Amino acid sequence: MSLVFKPEETFRGDYSYRNSDAAILRFPFPFPEDRYMYSVNIEPHVRSGPTDAFCRPFDIDEHYIAECRDRALTLELDPGRCQVLPHMMAAQWDTLELLMENLAADYPEQFSLTKEGDVFGSRWTWINRPLGIEQHFIFGDPDTLPCEPFEYITRQAQGDFAICDQREDNLYLDAGMITSQADWSLAFNVGMNFMEWHGPVPLAHQAGVFERALKYLLMLRLGQPVRRLNWTMSINPRLDTSPESYPEWGPDRASVTVENAGGKVHLRVELQTLWRLPRSNAILFPIRCFLISIEELARVPKWGKRLYRVLSSLPPELAEYKGLTRYLPATLAWLAPLDDGAQLATGIGPDITELAPL
Amino acid sequence: MMQSQIVSRPRYRDLAAEDTAGAHLLIVEGDTLAAGQMAALATAFAVVAERLQTWLVSAPATALAPGRVRRLHTVEEARTALEHIEDGFGIADRLYLQGTEPFMWSLATAAGRAGLSPTQIRMQHAGSLKRRVWCTHCHQTTENVTTNIATCAGCARALLVRDHFSRRLGAFMGVMVDAEVPGEVPQREEVFR
Ligand code: HEM
Repeated sequence: MSLVFKPEETFRGDYSYRNSDAAILRFPFPFPEDRYMYSVNIEPHVRSGPTDAFCRPFDIDEHYIAECRDRALTLELDPGRCQVLPHMMAAQWDTLELLMENLAADYPEQFSLTKEGDVFGSRWTWINRPLGIEQHFIFGDPDTLPCEPFEYITRQAQGDFAICDQREDNLYLDAGMITSQADWSLAFNVGMNFMEWHGPVPLAHQAGVFERALKYLLMLRLGQPVRRLNWTMSINPRLDTSPESYPEWGPDRASVTVENAGGKVHLRVELQTLWRLPRSNAILFPIRCFLISIEELARVPKWGKRLYRVLSSLPPELAEYKGLTRYLPATLAWLAPLDDGAQLATGIGPDITELAPL
Repeated sequence: MMQSQIVSRPRYRDLAAEDTAGAHLLIVEGDTLAAGQMAALATAFAVVAERLQTWLVSAPATALAPGRVRRLHTVEEARTALEHIEDGFGIADRLYLQGTEPFMWSLATAAGRAGLSPTQIRMQHAGSLKRRVWCTHCHQTTENVTTNIATCAGCARALLVRDHFSRRLGAFMGVMVDAEVPGEVPQREEVFR
Protein backbone atom coordinates (compact mmCIF):
# COMPACT_ATOMS: atom_id res chain seq x y z
CA MET A 1 0.00 0.00 0.00
CA SER A 2 1.43 3.39 -0.89
CA LEU A 3 0.93 6.01 1.80
CA VAL A 4 -0.01 9.58 1.00
CA PHE A 5 -0.09 11.52 4.24
CA LYS A 6 -2.40 14.44 5.02
CA PRO A 7 -0.17 16.43 7.36
CA GLU A 8 -2.49 19.45 7.62
CA GLU A 9 -5.44 17.53 9.07
CA THR A 10 -6.69 18.45 12.54
CA PHE A 11 -8.43 16.56 15.35
CA ARG A 12 -9.48 19.71 17.25
CA GLY A 13 -10.49 23.28 16.46
CA ASP A 14 -11.78 23.13 12.87
CA TYR A 15 -11.70 19.29 12.83
CA SER A 16 -10.53 19.03 9.24
CA TYR A 17 -9.89 15.25 9.53
CA ARG A 18 -11.53 13.23 6.70
CA ASN A 19 -11.11 9.71 5.29
CA SER A 20 -10.17 9.05 1.68
CA ASP A 21 -12.12 6.38 -0.23
CA ALA A 22 -9.26 3.94 0.38
CA ALA A 23 -9.29 4.72 4.11
CA ILE A 24 -13.05 4.08 4.27
CA LEU A 25 -12.72 0.71 2.53
CA ARG A 26 -9.97 -0.45 4.89
CA PHE A 27 -11.84 0.62 8.03
CA PRO A 28 -12.02 -2.03 10.79
CA PHE A 29 -15.82 -2.09 11.03
CA PRO A 30 -16.60 -3.86 14.32
CA PHE A 31 -19.97 -5.54 13.75
CA PRO A 32 -20.15 -9.01 12.16
CA GLU A 33 -23.82 -9.30 13.09
CA ASP A 34 -26.89 -7.09 13.47
CA ARG A 35 -26.66 -7.15 17.25
CA TYR A 36 -23.83 -6.39 19.63
CA MET A 37 -22.97 -7.54 23.11
CA TYR A 38 -19.67 -7.83 25.01
CA SER A 39 -17.82 -11.12 24.57
CA VAL A 40 -14.28 -12.49 24.79
CA ASN A 41 -13.69 -11.48 21.17
CA ILE A 42 -9.99 -12.33 20.98
CA GLU A 43 -8.32 -13.86 17.89
CA PRO A 44 -4.72 -14.31 16.68
CA HIS A 45 -3.21 -11.10 15.28
CA VAL A 46 -2.11 -12.53 11.94
CA ARG A 47 -1.16 -10.72 8.74
CA SER A 48 -4.62 -11.05 7.25
CA GLY A 49 -8.12 -9.99 8.10
CA PRO A 50 -11.44 -8.73 6.83
CA THR A 51 -10.04 -5.32 5.82
CA ASP A 52 -6.54 -3.98 5.23
CA ALA A 53 -6.40 -2.28 8.64
CA PHE A 54 -5.91 -5.68 10.29
CA CYS A 55 -3.05 -6.83 8.11
CA ARG A 56 0.09 -5.44 9.74
CA PRO A 57 1.38 -5.80 13.29
CA PHE A 58 1.37 -1.99 13.76
CA ASP A 59 -0.79 -0.12 11.32
CA ILE A 60 0.15 3.26 9.85
CA ASP A 61 -2.25 5.15 7.56
CA GLU A 62 -2.82 8.50 5.82
CA HIS A 63 -3.45 10.19 9.18
CA TYR A 64 -0.03 9.30 10.63
CA ILE A 65 1.66 12.71 10.61
CA ALA A 66 -1.42 14.62 11.78
CA GLU A 67 -2.03 12.11 14.55
CA CYS A 68 1.54 12.32 15.87
CA ARG A 69 1.20 16.11 15.91
CA ASP A 70 -2.08 15.89 17.83
CA ARG A 71 -0.40 13.66 20.42
CA ALA A 72 2.43 16.17 20.82
CA LEU A 73 -0.13 18.96 21.39
CA THR A 74 -1.94 16.95 24.05
CA LEU A 75 1.31 16.07 25.82
CA GLU A 76 2.33 19.71 25.84
CA LEU A 77 -0.92 20.61 27.61
CA ASP A 78 -0.84 17.61 29.95
CA PRO A 79 2.47 15.71 30.29
CA GLY A 80 0.73 13.29 32.69
CA ARG A 81 -0.79 11.46 29.70
CA CYS A 82 2.45 9.51 29.55
CA GLN A 83 3.30 7.71 32.78
CA VAL A 84 5.70 4.89 33.45
CA LEU A 85 6.26 3.35 36.87
CA PRO A 86 9.97 2.97 37.74
CA HIS A 87 10.17 -0.84 37.49
CA MET A 88 9.11 -0.77 33.81
CA MET A 89 12.43 0.14 32.15
CA ALA A 90 12.96 -3.29 30.56
CA ALA A 91 9.41 -3.17 29.17
CA GLN A 92 10.14 0.28 27.73
CA TRP A 93 13.04 -1.07 25.68
CA ASP A 94 11.00 -4.12 24.68
CA THR A 95 8.35 -1.78 23.29
CA LEU A 96 10.81 0.39 21.43
CA GLU A 97 12.41 -2.64 19.81
CA LEU A 98 9.11 -4.24 18.82
CA LEU A 99 7.81 -1.06 17.23
CA MET A 100 10.99 -0.10 15.43
CA GLU A 101 11.56 -3.56 14.00
CA ASN A 102 8.00 -3.97 12.77
CA LEU A 103 7.60 -0.47 11.36
CA ALA A 104 10.91 -0.73 9.50
CA ALA A 105 9.96 -4.14 8.08
CA ASP A 106 6.44 -3.18 6.98
CA TYR A 107 7.02 0.39 5.82
CA PRO A 108 10.59 0.46 4.41
CA GLU A 109 9.93 3.68 2.48
CA GLN A 110 9.04 5.47 5.69
CA PHE A 111 11.19 3.91 8.40
CA SER A 112 14.55 2.21 8.72
CA LEU A 113 16.49 0.65 11.55
CA THR A 114 20.15 -0.38 11.46
CA LYS A 115 22.08 -2.05 14.23
CA GLU A 116 25.87 -1.86 14.36
CA GLY A 117 28.66 -2.08 16.86
CA ASP A 118 29.96 -4.79 19.13
CA VAL A 119 28.67 -8.37 19.27
CA PHE A 120 25.29 -7.28 20.57
CA GLY A 121 24.84 -4.70 17.83
CA SER A 122 23.71 -2.12 20.34
CA ARG A 123 24.46 1.00 18.28
CA TRP A 124 21.16 1.68 16.56
CA THR A 125 20.17 4.20 13.93
CA TRP A 126 16.48 4.94 13.54
CA ILE A 127 15.19 6.91 10.60
CA ASN A 128 11.61 8.17 10.49
CA ARG A 129 11.17 9.95 7.16
CA PRO A 130 7.56 11.22 7.52
CA LEU A 131 8.50 13.03 10.75
CA GLY A 132 12.02 13.93 9.60
CA ILE A 133 13.87 12.13 12.41
CA GLU A 134 17.30 10.49 12.36
CA GLN A 135 18.34 9.19 15.78
CA HIS A 136 21.58 7.44 16.76
CA PHE A 137 21.42 5.77 20.15
CA ILE A 138 22.66 2.86 22.22
CA PHE A 139 19.97 0.26 22.80
CA GLY A 140 19.60 -0.08 26.59
CA ASP A 141 21.05 3.34 27.44
CA PRO A 142 18.23 5.83 28.06
CA ASP A 143 20.66 8.75 28.21
CA THR A 144 21.26 8.41 24.47
CA LEU A 145 17.62 9.28 23.62
CA PRO A 146 15.92 12.68 23.98
CA CYS A 147 13.37 11.15 26.39
CA GLU A 148 12.65 7.73 27.92
CA PRO A 149 12.37 4.93 25.32
CA PHE A 150 8.61 4.29 25.71
CA GLU A 151 7.70 7.94 25.27
CA TYR A 152 10.24 8.27 22.47
CA ILE A 153 8.80 5.55 20.27
CA THR A 154 5.11 6.02 21.08
CA ARG A 155 5.34 9.69 20.06
CA GLN A 156 6.09 8.24 16.61
CA ALA A 157 3.26 5.72 16.41
CA GLN A 158 -0.49 5.93 15.88
CA GLY A 159 -2.75 4.89 18.72
CA ASP A 160 -2.42 4.69 22.49
CA PHE A 161 -0.18 2.22 24.29
CA ALA A 162 -0.44 0.62 27.70
CA ILE A 163 2.03 -1.79 29.28
CA CYS A 164 0.77 -4.29 31.81
CA ASP A 165 3.17 -5.86 34.27
CA GLN A 166 2.30 -9.48 35.06
CA ARG A 167 2.57 -10.65 38.69
CA GLU A 168 0.45 -12.53 41.26
CA ASP A 169 -1.66 -13.97 38.42
CA ASN A 170 -2.88 -10.55 37.47
CA LEU A 171 -2.02 -7.69 35.12
CA TYR A 172 -1.14 -4.21 36.41
CA LEU A 173 -1.46 -1.04 34.37
CA ASP A 174 2.05 0.22 35.09
CA ALA A 175 2.77 2.34 32.02
CA GLY A 176 0.81 4.21 29.40
CA MET A 177 0.93 6.73 26.58
CA ILE A 178 -2.73 7.69 26.48
CA THR A 179 -3.76 10.71 24.41
CA SER A 180 -6.67 9.35 22.35
CA GLN A 181 -8.72 7.42 24.87
CA ALA A 182 -12.43 6.78 25.00
CA ASP A 183 -13.05 8.60 28.27
CA TRP A 184 -10.80 6.92 30.85
CA SER A 185 -8.05 8.47 32.90
CA LEU A 186 -4.51 7.12 32.97
CA ALA A 187 -3.71 9.25 36.03
CA PHE A 188 -6.56 7.58 37.92
CA ASN A 189 -5.96 4.06 36.62
CA VAL A 190 -2.19 3.76 36.73
CA GLY A 191 -1.14 0.87 38.98
CA MET A 192 -4.59 -0.80 38.96
CA ASN A 193 -5.10 -4.47 38.21
CA PHE A 194 -7.16 -5.93 35.35
CA MET A 195 -10.42 -6.20 37.32
CA GLU A 196 -10.04 -2.79 38.97
CA TRP A 197 -9.43 -0.77 35.80
CA HIS A 198 -12.34 -2.59 34.12
CA GLY A 199 -14.51 -1.76 37.15
CA PRO A 200 -16.92 0.65 35.42
CA VAL A 201 -17.78 -1.64 32.46
CA PRO A 202 -21.41 -2.82 32.82
CA LEU A 203 -22.70 -6.40 32.35
CA ALA A 204 -19.36 -7.92 31.28
CA HIS A 205 -18.11 -8.77 34.80
CA GLN A 206 -21.37 -10.51 35.60
CA ALA A 207 -21.14 -12.49 32.32
CA GLY A 208 -17.64 -13.73 33.24
CA VAL A 209 -16.06 -11.95 30.27
CA PHE A 210 -13.20 -10.38 32.23
CA GLU A 211 -12.42 -13.50 34.21
CA ARG A 212 -11.99 -15.52 31.00
CA ALA A 213 -10.13 -12.75 29.20
CA LEU A 214 -7.62 -12.40 32.04
CA LYS A 215 -7.00 -16.15 32.18
CA TYR A 216 -6.31 -16.13 28.46
CA LEU A 217 -3.94 -13.17 28.65
CA LEU A 218 -1.86 -14.58 31.49
CA MET A 219 -0.95 -17.40 29.08
CA LEU A 220 -0.15 -15.12 26.14
CA ARG A 221 3.00 -16.31 24.38
CA LEU A 222 5.93 -14.52 22.84
CA GLY A 223 5.57 -14.21 19.06
CA GLN A 224 1.84 -15.03 19.14
CA PRO A 225 0.07 -11.69 19.46
CA VAL A 226 -3.71 -11.52 19.60
CA ARG A 227 -6.24 -8.82 18.76
CA ARG A 228 -9.76 -7.63 19.47
CA LEU A 229 -12.01 -4.76 18.46
CA ASN A 230 -13.68 -2.33 20.79
CA TRP A 231 -15.90 0.56 19.75
CA THR A 232 -17.72 3.65 20.90
CA MET A 233 -18.85 6.91 19.28
CA SER A 234 -17.48 10.44 19.35
CA ILE A 235 -18.83 13.79 18.29
CA ASN A 236 -16.36 15.30 15.80
CA PRO A 237 -13.17 13.49 14.80
CA ARG A 238 -11.55 14.17 18.14
CA LEU A 239 -8.71 11.98 19.40
CA ASP A 240 -8.48 13.49 22.88
CA THR A 241 -11.76 12.41 24.44
CA SER A 242 -10.22 12.02 27.88
CA PRO A 243 -12.06 12.69 31.13
CA GLU A 244 -9.45 15.38 31.76
CA SER A 245 -10.71 17.40 28.79
CA TYR A 246 -14.40 16.40 29.05
CA PRO A 247 -15.43 19.98 29.92
CA GLU A 248 -14.15 20.92 26.42
CA TRP A 249 -15.76 18.17 24.36
CA GLY A 250 -18.81 17.33 26.50
CA PRO A 251 -20.96 20.18 25.06
CA ASP A 252 -20.53 18.73 21.54
CA ARG A 253 -22.76 15.84 22.59
CA ALA A 254 -25.65 18.25 23.04
CA SER A 255 -25.08 19.79 19.58
CA VAL A 256 -26.20 16.82 17.46
CA THR A 257 -29.33 17.15 15.32
CA VAL A 258 -30.84 14.88 12.67
CA GLU A 259 -29.54 17.35 10.06
CA ASN A 260 -25.90 17.45 11.23
CA ALA A 261 -25.51 13.90 12.58
CA GLY A 262 -23.99 12.55 9.35
CA GLY A 263 -20.88 14.69 9.58
CA LYS A 264 -20.68 15.12 13.34
CA VAL A 265 -21.29 11.64 14.73
CA HIS A 266 -18.27 9.37 14.36
CA LEU A 267 -17.85 5.68 14.92
CA ARG A 268 -14.69 5.21 16.96
CA VAL A 269 -13.10 1.79 16.64
CA GLU A 270 -10.12 0.53 18.58
CA LEU A 271 -8.07 -2.24 17.07
CA GLN A 272 -6.44 -3.54 20.22
CA THR A 273 -3.55 -5.94 20.08
CA LEU A 274 -1.76 -7.78 22.85
CA TRP A 275 1.94 -8.69 22.78
CA ARG A 276 4.05 -10.62 25.24
CA LEU A 277 7.33 -8.72 25.67
CA PRO A 278 10.58 -10.73 25.70
CA ARG A 279 12.76 -9.26 28.49
CA SER A 280 10.17 -7.94 30.92
CA ASN A 281 7.50 -10.62 30.43
CA ALA A 282 5.03 -7.71 30.46
CA ILE A 283 2.15 -7.36 27.98
CA LEU A 284 2.07 -4.48 25.53
CA PHE A 285 -1.45 -3.29 24.71
CA PRO A 286 -1.54 -0.98 21.68
CA ILE A 287 -4.94 0.64 21.16
CA ARG A 288 -5.10 1.81 17.55
CA CYS A 289 -8.01 4.24 17.18
CA PHE A 290 -9.89 4.64 13.86
CA LEU A 291 -12.43 7.43 13.39
CA ILE A 292 -15.08 7.63 10.66
CA SER A 293 -18.13 9.89 10.32
CA ILE A 294 -21.37 7.96 9.86
CA GLU A 295 -21.75 9.79 6.53
CA GLU A 296 -18.43 8.32 5.34
CA LEU A 297 -19.24 4.93 6.82
CA ALA A 298 -22.62 4.79 5.06
CA ARG A 299 -20.86 4.91 1.69
CA VAL A 300 -20.44 1.19 2.33
CA PRO A 301 -24.14 0.22 2.16
CA LYS A 302 -23.74 -2.91 4.29
CA TRP A 303 -22.09 -0.92 7.07
CA GLY A 304 -24.68 1.87 7.16
CA LYS A 305 -27.54 -0.61 7.47
CA ARG A 306 -25.76 -2.74 10.01
CA LEU A 307 -24.81 0.23 12.18
CA TYR A 308 -28.46 1.23 12.29
CA ARG A 309 -29.49 -2.27 13.39
CA VAL A 310 -26.79 -2.52 16.07
CA LEU A 311 -27.52 0.92 17.52
CA SER A 312 -31.26 0.45 17.54
CA SER A 313 -30.96 -2.82 19.47
CA LEU A 314 -28.08 -1.82 21.77
CA PRO A 315 -28.62 -2.74 25.45
CA PRO A 316 -29.38 0.53 27.28
CA GLU A 317 -26.59 -0.13 29.82
CA LEU A 318 -24.05 -0.10 26.99
CA ALA A 319 -25.48 3.06 25.42
CA GLU A 320 -25.33 4.80 28.79
CA TYR A 321 -21.79 3.59 29.58
CA LYS A 322 -20.51 4.66 26.17
CA GLY A 323 -22.11 8.09 26.61
CA LEU A 324 -24.41 7.82 23.56
CA THR A 325 -27.74 8.38 25.26
CA ARG A 326 -28.10 12.11 24.54
CA TYR A 327 -27.49 11.92 20.79
CA LEU A 328 -28.58 8.37 19.96
CA PRO A 329 -32.12 9.35 18.84
CA ALA A 330 -30.80 11.89 16.29
CA THR A 331 -28.20 9.38 15.07
CA LEU A 332 -30.81 6.68 14.60
CA ALA A 333 -33.10 9.09 12.77
CA TRP A 334 -30.24 9.93 10.41
CA LEU A 335 -29.40 6.26 9.78
CA ALA A 336 -32.94 4.85 9.59
CA PRO A 337 -33.66 5.73 5.93
CA LEU A 338 -30.58 3.73 4.86
CA ASP A 339 -31.94 0.44 6.12
CA ASP A 340 -34.13 -1.30 3.55
CA GLY A 341 -34.39 -4.40 5.73
CA ALA A 342 -32.35 -6.58 3.35
CA GLN A 343 -30.54 -9.56 4.87
CA LEU A 344 -26.86 -8.72 5.42
CA ALA A 345 -24.00 -11.18 5.08
CA THR A 346 -22.34 -12.20 8.36
CA GLY A 347 -18.85 -10.75 8.80
CA ILE A 348 -17.34 -7.33 8.93
CA GLY A 349 -15.88 -6.87 5.43
CA PRO A 350 -17.39 -4.13 3.21
CA ASP A 351 -18.33 -6.70 0.49
CA ILE A 352 -17.50 -4.10 -2.20
CA THR A 353 -14.15 -3.09 -3.68
CA GLU A 354 -14.96 0.44 -4.74
CA LEU A 355 -17.19 3.19 -3.38
CA ALA A 356 -19.90 4.73 -5.52
CA PRO A 357 -18.81 8.27 -6.48
CA LEU A 358 -20.25 10.98 -4.24
CA MET B 1 -24.94 2.54 48.71
CA MET B 2 -21.99 0.51 50.03
CA GLN B 3 -21.92 -1.84 47.02
CA SER B 4 -22.55 -1.08 43.38
CA GLN B 5 -22.07 -2.68 39.98
CA ILE B 6 -18.65 -1.08 39.75
CA VAL B 7 -16.20 -3.71 40.90
CA SER B 8 -13.18 -1.47 41.54
CA ARG B 9 -15.04 -0.57 44.74
CA PRO B 10 -13.35 -2.55 47.54
CA ARG B 11 -15.40 -4.89 49.68
CA TYR B 12 -14.79 -4.80 53.42
CA ARG B 13 -15.27 -7.55 55.94
CA ASP B 14 -15.37 -7.77 59.72
CA LEU B 15 -11.86 -8.01 61.07
CA ALA B 16 -10.63 -11.33 62.40
CA ALA B 17 -7.08 -11.93 63.59
CA GLU B 18 -5.08 -14.34 61.48
CA ASP B 19 -2.97 -16.58 63.61
CA THR B 20 0.31 -15.95 61.77
CA ALA B 21 3.63 -15.92 63.59
CA GLY B 22 4.42 -12.26 62.90
CA ALA B 23 3.49 -8.98 64.51
CA HIS B 24 -0.10 -7.78 64.39
CA LEU B 25 -0.92 -4.12 64.15
CA LEU B 26 -4.49 -2.91 64.54
CA ILE B 27 -5.23 0.74 63.78
CA VAL B 28 -8.63 2.07 64.72
CA GLU B 29 -10.14 5.43 63.90
CA GLY B 30 -11.28 6.22 67.43
CA ASP B 31 -14.08 8.65 66.80
CA THR B 32 -15.91 6.05 64.67
CA LEU B 33 -16.10 3.56 67.54
CA ALA B 34 -19.65 2.64 68.35
CA ALA B 35 -20.62 1.15 71.69
CA GLY B 36 -19.52 -2.46 72.10
CA GLN B 37 -17.22 -2.39 69.09
CA MET B 38 -14.00 -2.46 71.07
CA ALA B 39 -15.22 -5.46 73.01
CA ALA B 40 -15.91 -7.22 69.70
CA LEU B 41 -12.40 -6.39 68.52
CA ALA B 42 -10.88 -7.67 71.77
CA THR B 43 -12.61 -11.00 71.17
CA ALA B 44 -11.62 -11.09 67.50
CA PHE B 45 -7.95 -10.49 68.39
CA ALA B 46 -7.71 -12.69 71.49
CA VAL B 47 -5.69 -15.38 69.65
CA VAL B 48 -2.86 -12.96 68.86
CA ALA B 49 -3.15 -10.76 71.96
CA GLU B 50 0.55 -11.23 72.87
CA ARG B 51 1.75 -10.13 69.48
CA LEU B 52 -0.78 -7.33 69.05
CA GLN B 53 -0.27 -3.59 69.04
CA THR B 54 -3.29 -1.34 68.77
CA TRP B 55 -3.05 2.27 67.66
CA LEU B 56 -6.01 4.39 68.58
CA VAL B 57 -6.24 7.44 66.40
CA SER B 58 -8.19 10.44 67.70
CA ALA B 59 -9.94 8.30 70.29
CA PRO B 60 -11.45 9.53 73.56
CA ALA B 61 -8.83 9.23 76.34
CA THR B 62 -11.02 6.75 78.15
CA ALA B 63 -11.19 4.27 75.25
CA LEU B 64 -9.69 0.87 76.01
CA ALA B 65 -8.20 -1.51 73.47
CA PRO B 66 -6.63 -4.97 73.27
CA GLY B 67 -2.86 -5.51 73.05
CA ARG B 68 -0.22 -2.86 73.65
CA VAL B 69 -1.95 0.45 73.10
CA ARG B 70 -0.53 3.56 71.49
CA ARG B 71 -2.52 6.76 71.17
CA LEU B 72 -2.17 9.07 68.17
CA HIS B 73 -3.95 12.32 67.48
CA THR B 74 -4.39 12.44 63.74
CA VAL B 75 -4.30 10.21 60.68
CA GLU B 76 -1.22 12.14 59.46
CA GLU B 77 0.59 11.23 62.67
CA ALA B 78 -0.38 7.59 62.15
CA ARG B 79 0.89 7.70 58.57
CA THR B 80 4.24 9.05 59.63
CA ALA B 81 4.50 6.46 62.39
CA LEU B 82 3.72 3.67 59.92
CA GLU B 83 6.30 4.84 57.43
CA HIS B 84 8.96 4.93 60.15
CA ILE B 85 8.08 1.65 61.81
CA GLU B 86 11.22 0.08 63.27
CA ASP B 87 12.73 -2.81 61.28
CA GLY B 88 9.98 -2.51 58.63
CA PHE B 89 7.53 -5.36 58.05
CA GLY B 90 8.03 -9.12 57.63
CA ILE B 91 5.91 -11.42 55.50
CA ALA B 92 4.10 -12.92 58.51
CA ASP B 93 3.06 -9.48 59.77
CA ARG B 94 -0.50 -8.25 59.42
CA LEU B 95 -2.05 -4.81 59.41
CA TYR B 96 -5.72 -4.42 60.34
CA LEU B 97 -7.56 -1.17 59.76
CA GLN B 98 -10.93 0.01 60.97
CA GLY B 99 -12.53 3.31 60.14
CA THR B 100 -13.85 5.41 57.30
CA GLU B 101 -12.57 4.80 53.77
CA PRO B 102 -10.39 7.93 53.57
CA PHE B 103 -8.81 6.93 56.89
CA MET B 104 -8.13 3.32 55.92
CA TRP B 105 -6.74 4.08 52.49
CA SER B 106 -4.47 6.85 53.76
CA LEU B 107 -2.88 4.27 56.02
CA ALA B 108 -2.92 1.41 53.51
CA THR B 109 -0.99 3.48 50.96
CA ALA B 110 1.50 4.55 53.65
CA ALA B 111 1.94 0.90 54.66
CA GLY B 112 2.50 0.02 51.00
CA ARG B 113 5.34 2.51 50.86
CA ALA B 114 6.75 0.96 54.04
CA GLY B 115 6.90 -2.40 52.23
CA LEU B 116 3.68 -4.13 53.24
CA SER B 117 1.93 -6.00 50.43
CA PRO B 118 -1.83 -5.60 49.91
CA THR B 119 -2.29 -9.27 50.85
CA GLN B 120 -1.09 -8.44 54.38
CA ILE B 121 -3.72 -5.77 54.98
CA ARG B 122 -7.31 -6.30 56.22
CA MET B 123 -9.95 -3.63 56.43
CA GLN B 124 -13.28 -3.16 58.11
CA HIS B 125 -15.37 -0.16 57.33
CA ALA B 126 -16.78 1.74 60.31
CA GLY B 127 -18.34 5.12 60.82
CA SER B 128 -19.34 7.55 58.12
CA LEU B 129 -19.57 6.63 54.43
CA LYS B 130 -17.99 9.98 53.53
CA ARG B 131 -15.66 9.86 50.55
CA ARG B 132 -12.47 11.37 49.27
CA VAL B 133 -13.13 12.47 45.70
CA TRP B 134 -10.48 12.89 43.01
CA CYS B 135 -11.35 15.34 40.24
CA THR B 136 -10.65 13.93 36.77
CA HIS B 137 -10.26 17.47 35.42
CA CYS B 138 -7.89 19.26 37.83
CA HIS B 139 -6.62 16.14 39.70
CA GLN B 140 -7.18 17.71 43.14
CA THR B 141 -8.89 15.79 45.93
CA THR B 142 -11.89 16.92 47.94
CA GLU B 143 -12.29 15.44 51.44
CA ASN B 144 -15.32 14.47 53.52
CA VAL B 145 -17.80 14.29 50.65
CA THR B 146 -21.22 13.05 51.72
CA THR B 147 -23.29 14.09 48.69
CA ASN B 148 -23.80 12.53 45.24
CA ILE B 149 -22.63 15.79 43.71
CA ALA B 150 -19.73 17.70 45.25
CA THR B 151 -18.03 21.01 44.55
CA CYS B 152 -14.39 20.38 43.66
CA ALA B 153 -12.00 21.98 46.15
CA GLY B 154 -9.54 22.52 43.27
CA CYS B 155 -11.53 23.83 40.30
CA ALA B 156 -15.00 24.47 41.82
CA ARG B 157 -16.73 22.35 39.16
CA ALA B 158 -19.81 20.39 40.25
CA LEU B 159 -18.62 16.77 40.27
CA LEU B 160 -20.73 13.66 40.03
CA VAL B 161 -19.22 11.21 42.53
CA ARG B 162 -18.83 7.87 40.78
CA ASP B 163 -18.30 4.48 42.42
CA HIS B 164 -15.04 3.92 40.50
CA PHE B 165 -12.33 3.72 43.14
CA SER B 166 -8.54 4.02 43.08
CA ARG B 167 -6.70 2.29 45.91
CA ARG B 168 -3.53 4.23 45.11
CA LEU B 169 -5.33 7.55 45.58
CA GLY B 170 -7.74 6.21 48.21
CA ALA B 171 -10.37 8.14 46.33
CA PHE B 172 -13.48 7.91 44.18
CA MET B 173 -13.65 9.49 40.76
CA GLY B 174 -15.44 12.80 40.34
CA VAL B 175 -16.59 13.89 36.87
CA MET B 176 -18.10 17.25 35.91
CA VAL B 177 -21.83 16.70 36.07
CA ASP B 178 -22.97 19.48 33.74
CA ALA B 179 -20.23 19.38 31.09
CA GLU B 180 -22.69 18.55 28.30
CA VAL B 181 -25.30 21.13 29.20
CA PRO B 182 -23.83 23.80 31.49
CA GLY B 183 -26.06 24.46 34.47
CA GLU B 184 -27.97 21.19 34.17
CA VAL B 185 -27.11 19.97 37.67
CA PRO B 186 -29.34 17.40 39.37
CA GLN B 187 -30.48 17.84 42.97
CA ARG B 188 -27.73 17.24 45.55
CA GLU B 189 -28.54 14.48 47.95
CA GLU B 190 -26.73 13.33 51.03
CA VAL B 191 -26.07 9.69 50.16
CA PHE B 192 -22.73 8.95 51.89
CA ARG B 193 -23.63 9.80 55.46
C1 HEM C 1 -4.69 -6.07 28.98
C2 HEM C 1 -4.90 -4.92 28.43
C3 HEM C 1 -6.16 -4.13 28.58
C4 HEM C 1 -6.23 -2.86 29.05
C5 HEM C 1 -5.04 -1.99 29.52
C6 HEM C 1 -7.62 -2.46 29.03
C7 HEM C 1 -8.08 -1.24 29.47
C8 HEM C 1 -9.40 -0.84 29.47
C9 HEM C 1 -9.87 0.41 29.99
C10 HEM C 1 -9.00 1.46 30.67
C11 HEM C 1 -11.21 0.48 29.78
C12 HEM C 1 -12.14 1.63 30.18
C13 HEM C 1 -12.78 1.37 31.51
C14 HEM C 1 -13.46 2.60 32.08
O1 HEM C 1 -14.64 2.86 31.76
O2 HEM C 1 -12.82 3.33 32.86
C15 HEM C 1 -11.58 -0.75 29.11
C16 HEM C 1 -12.86 -1.07 28.69
C17 HEM C 1 -13.21 -2.31 28.21
N1 HEM C 1 -12.39 -3.41 28.06
FE1 HEM C 1 -10.40 -3.47 28.35
N2 HEM C 1 -8.37 -3.49 28.55
C18 HEM C 1 -7.52 -4.54 28.27
C19 HEM C 1 -7.89 -5.75 27.76
C20 HEM C 1 -9.17 -6.14 27.51
C21 HEM C 1 -9.54 -7.45 27.02
C22 HEM C 1 -8.59 -8.58 26.69
C23 HEM C 1 -10.88 -7.47 26.90
C24 HEM C 1 -11.67 -8.67 26.42
C25 HEM C 1 -12.85 -8.97 26.71
C26 HEM C 1 -11.37 -6.14 27.31
C27 HEM C 1 -12.69 -5.72 27.31
C28 HEM C 1 -13.13 -4.44 27.58
C29 HEM C 1 -14.52 -4.00 27.39
C30 HEM C 1 -15.68 -4.84 26.88
C31 HEM C 1 -14.56 -2.66 27.77
C32 HEM C 1 -15.77 -1.71 27.68
C33 HEM C 1 -15.59 -0.92 26.41
C34 HEM C 1 -16.78 -0.13 25.88
O3 HEM C 1 -17.94 -0.58 25.96
O4 HEM C 1 -16.56 0.94 25.29
N3 HEM C 1 -10.30 -5.38 27.67
N4 HEM C 1 -10.46 -1.53 28.95
